[in-house]
Amino acid sequence: MTGERPPTIRAARRGDVPALVDLRIQHLGEIAKQATHVRLLPDARQRTEQSLPVWLGQEGRIVLVAEAPAPEGEEGVLVGYAMGLVSTWPPVFKNQKVGEILECYVGVKYRAQGTGRGLVAKLTEILVGRGVEVLRSVVPEGLEGASGRMAAAGYQPLYLVMQRELDEF
Amino acid sequence: MEGVPIRAARRGDIPSLLLLWEQMLKENAAADPRLEPHPRAREHMAAQFQAWLSDAQRIIVVAEEGGRLVIGYAAGAIVPGNGWQAPTTLGEITDCYVARPRRRQGIARRLVGRVIDQLFEKGVDTCRLQVGVHNEGSRAFWASMGWKPHEVVYERPV
Repeated sequence: MTGERPPTIRAARRGDVPALVDLRIQHLGEIAKQATHVRLLPDARQRTEQSLPVWLGQEGRIVLVAEAPAPEGEEGVLVGYAMGLVSTWPPVFKNQKVGEILECYVGVKYRAQGTGRGLVAKLTEILVGRGVEVLRSVVPEGLEGASGRMAAAGYQPLYLVMQRELDEF
Repeated sequence: MEGVPIRAARRGDIPSLLLLWEQMLKENAAADPRLEPHPRAREHMAAQFQAWLSDAQRIIVVAEEGGRLVIGYAAGAIVPGNGWQAPTTLGEITDCYVARPRRRQGIARRLVGRVIDQLFEKGVDTCRLQVGVHNEGSRAFWASMGWKPHEVVYERPV
């Protein structure tokens, strides 16, 4: 990849769904491998296949893809994606309009070229443009390098989500 | 020791629940200004408590002192999972609060235990809750009962 043009970041389209499903399953698989307390459901692929077309049509949801340039006349290859959501929370805390960075993933071969940063930057720009008051992102505990990456992007921990298996009680 | 009786919440408890809930929010905001309550929070929560009391997927229990003074409460709910990671259904402890002068008597543990028992009876085998990262006391409380970190919610101002 060195020396080639960087991937293009654009909004996802219906035709991207099959490649997006593959990327998302790779992403979820990597999370489950690193954060061993996270267990992927056996039908995660099927659920993703059903959900993605719906998500692409949702007003508050943003799905971006990173497409590697292809030779003239050939289809580009999707190498990463990012997904965000504009959500309005009940009036409990001061900030109600939240921009959520839900997922961001770049295929292993295409990392360390700024593609992930590019996806997040574009997603952030869109969320901010839609008037969100704060940005949030949920990261599984134990994910390698996550806290450093989040801090570098200006994020600070707000809540800790804790879990307990009830049959241990 | 018997301790303060714990019972299911009733409609008549809503004013007390609101007072305790507001205290909980004030304490959270004092620990972390990002958790400042919304100006309409009380009004919203009054309606929520009403709705929760008639929702079969929700549990609210109260600790009542002297048969008339509600000094703490805990609430839980059965919620769907995210759809791709296990479990498909889980329990959530949404609230747990004991008035400051009545703490360190095991009341919160008993309140939570009651909510957990009911969630378990309803078929839930995994439970989650959210705690403010700067709320050291609360984090220690949950960790002492075997709750383990699962996810971190990060925030960035715009």
